[in-house]
Amino acid sequence: MDFVILSLVMLGIGVYGLLTNRQLLKVFISIELIATAATLNFVMLATSQGLGQAFLILAFSTDTAVSGVILALLVIVSKKYGTSDMGKIIQMLQDKGTSEDEVQ
Amino acid sequence: MIFEILAVGLIISAILALFLDEVIYSVAALAGTFFFVAFIYVLNGALYAAIFQFAVGIGTLSILFLSGEMLGDKPAKKTSVKRTGALVGIGAVLSLPAVFLSVSGSTTIAPDISIGDALWNVRGLDVVMQAIVILTVALGIAIVLFEKRKGGQ
Repeated sequence: MDFVILSLVMLGIGVYGLLTNRQLLKVFISIELIATAATLNFVMLATSQGLGQAFLILAFSTDTAVSGVILALLVIVSKKYGTSDMGKIIQMLQDKGTSEDEVQ
Repeated sequence: MIFEILAVGLIISAILALFLDEVIYSVAALAGTFFFVAFIYVLNGALYAAIFQFAVGIGTLSILFLSGEMLGDKPAKKTSVKRTGALVGIGAVLSLPAVFLSVSGSTTIAPDISIGDALWNVRGLDVVMQAIVILTVALGIAIVLFEKRKGGQ
């Protein structure tokens, strides 16, 4: 049993989800998984138990700040475009750009 | 043996969290991921880490449940049992390297430092700097939302 490989697999799953998912909430979940993989490494690879947990607390505080920013962006985007699907949002922006070009 | 079971559960719940169609079920699977990680911390003697994982996890999950219900798009069709089974199978296969392989190498074990010493004597400056950064981010978000609300009225 090796926690380095476990956290590497979790990191891989998170990065794959980040690259392939179109839903903003799923992107958020992917970032959470990547952060969890990193914090798992902090605790398991620390040369001292206390030091590893101190690093984990610092990593959690950063992770929580990042979560706040992502959720704020998610609320703004969902209110503005009525959806949280990145594919639909990009399509809307392209349609808008095309109609503006036609007017000009 | 229990670590292997937890590792398999962790990878399967992570896969389900990402690839289930319904957002609510994804968040429930993410709750499972946080639970397995916290349990691994407890079994390794990192009790503070487990408590923080639970506390942060509960906060994140409650917000995700709410935003998933309010903002998430409803999928056209529900995830079939066959697809869920396939995802569980993929998760089990992906967890095999963590169970059977190991990376060789040695780490120098430092004399055990208590979490209080580690936080305040070794990383004290980091803690203060991060607190300033987080406070700035929180203020920034509050100002942006306030300006947006003001602009909307």
